[in-house]
Amino acid sequence: MEAPTPTVQLLGVTKRIGGKTLIDRLSFEIRKGEIFGFLGPNGAGKTTTIRMMVGLMSLTEGDVLIEGKSISKDYERAIRHVGAIVENPEFYRYLSGYRNLVHYARMVPGVNRKRILEVVRLVGLENRIHDKVKRYSLGMRQRLGVAQALLHKPALLILDEPTNGLDPAGIRELRDYLRRLTREGNISVLVSSHQLAEMELMCDRIGILQNGRLVDVRSMQELIRDGEASRYVFEVNDPAKAKEALACAREAEIVPEGVEVLAEREEAAEIAAALVRAGIRLYGIRPVTKSLEDKFLEMTGGDRIA
Amino acid sequence: MLKLIRNENMKIYRRPRTWILLLLLIGIAAFGAYQIHRFQPVDADWKKTLTEQNANYEQSLKDHPSPQLRDYLEEQLKLNQYRLEHDLAPARGTVWGTVLNLKDLIILVTILTVIVAADAVAGEFSQGTAKLLLIRPHSRGKVLLAKYISALQFSLLLLLVLFASSYGFGGLLNGFDGAALPHLYLAADGTVHERSVLVHIFTVYGLSCVSLLMTVTLAFMISTVFRSSSLAIGLSMAVLLLSDTAVNLLKGYWWIKYYLFANTDLSVYLDGTPLRSDMTLTFSILVLAGYFVAMNVLSWTVFTKRDIAV
Repeated sequence: MEAPTPTVQLLGVTKRIGGKTLIDRLSFEIRKGEIFGFLGPNGAGKTTTIRMMVGLMSLTEGDVLIEGKSISKDYERAIRHVGAIVENPEFYRYLSGYRNLVHYARMVPGVNRKRILEVVRLVGLENRIHDKVKRYSLGMRQRLGVAQALLHKPALLILDEPTNGLDPAGIRELRDYLRRLTREGNISVLVSSHQLAEMELMCDRIGILQNGRLVDVRSMQELIRDGEASRYVFEVNDPAKAKEALACAREAEIVPEGVEVLAEREEAAEIAAALVRAGIRLYGIRPVTKSLEDKFLEMTGGDRIA
Repeated sequence: MLKLIRNENMKIYRRPRTWILLLLLIGIAAFGAYQIHRFQPVDADWKKTLTEQNANYEQSLKDHPSPQLRDYLEEQLKLNQYRLEHDLAPARGTVWGTVLNLKDLIILVTILTVIVAADAVAGEFSQGTAKLLLIRPHSRGKVLLAKYISALQFSLLLLLVLFASSYGFGGLLNGFDGAALPHLYLAADGTVHERSVLVHIFTVYGLSCVSLLMTVTLAFMISTVFRSSSLAIGLSMAVLLLSDTAVNLLKGYWWIKYYLFANTDLSVYLDGTPLRSDMTLTFSILVLAGYFVAMNVLSWTVFTKRDIAV
């Protein structure tokens, strides 16, 4: 069976300004119904890439295909599948939230008043939608940003740092909401962030960007599996004695909770038995997982601004 | 396209600033009408005044005036004589006199339109809204055109408001009669002609629109190229207000005839003297068209090609 066409394809996307290469031959794709995380330290080129994907910036080389349409050659037909927030969502502050949505609704075919109100309810702004945007908090502007991006039921939703300014409850809501969207409809989502923990919970796959180059594209499961432990911590009443008991078999290290031992999953049980046999009280066994953050720092070599 | 223009209009008229500007225009028109009413009342004995004026003019003509002054005096003499012969009172102190006097406020219309036009493009950048505006299925050229059209619509509205308020206030203060009085002008053959005063006012307004259109286009271009509304307002106002002086100072140089604001006053070709003898109506229209096309092409090119990074 042939794989369905991806929603977005980046083909060797390159941006050079004045001899400086900001984005270097970026190629990846986002599949239908997928939440793709775009991860990278500040200045890696996430926003520049997004600006090129939505036609705000020209491409020096390469192309972006959205639903098979080229953003540089067939802009109007490519962009109609896209809803986006680029950096902070800025609105006409002297207009109400509702008027702002009307403004964007007029620019796409087939969005009526009912649809506007539906989207407003979806993002939970129905009580404040007729207030002027200048009275909105950053979190409310983020919600309005999501609303304007969803008005025309796009195939691709691009959210640049969407959790900026959202409180933990809002972040959770957004996460659940994106999950629901991708499950229900044929929508694909690109989320950029430098917040690793968020990506871990939200995304199906992530692409890691550094200095304008794509370092790696991994599925979330792969990343989690890779980070899986080959070290275990055994919580015991007497770490020194435990270390001694294991000394002949393997390297053990005293840590505050007990001893940390290098071992495979199967061996962990044997070690536990050995400890018990040596008369040591064993309270718990815990694998030491490398967090996504460690993984990320390992890949990008620290969070230096490029 | 219509929806894009509606959007631009919404951004203009749902903003308190716009209504303040409109009220300002009406207020100044009211003040002007009152001042005209106070200092130029109806002259009941206008025949005597005109006769005295003519005597003065004739006296001045004997003193070997400059050619320009001589032309002016002879013109006034002929017009006054025509009035006396045909019993036609001057427009002074009537509603039409007020409307004609207040036509000078068209420069205020220009200034107010420039404020709105300058903000139309630069404002999207300073507010950061450009990026959400330009990721819709409309080419940037269309978005720009919608902004330009809405700015011109705004100037038409202001002209209408100016005309209505000067007619309204002029009528309230002086009475609404006097519409029958024709406007007199000296044709090229040196004879006096009559023309409906309404036609005359429309001609005056229409000719003023040339300068208005050019100034607004200039402001629009600066706003697009430099993305700064204050620069666009300041620069186009300076050019507009200083041009008269500069042009008069520099009219000895041949190249001044290619300067935009040396050509915007087309009324000199109808009743008056052109700035330089080598300038004709056709020449001025060609220069104006050249500037118009060049400024709009520049705005369009910059706006459609630029990387948006706000």
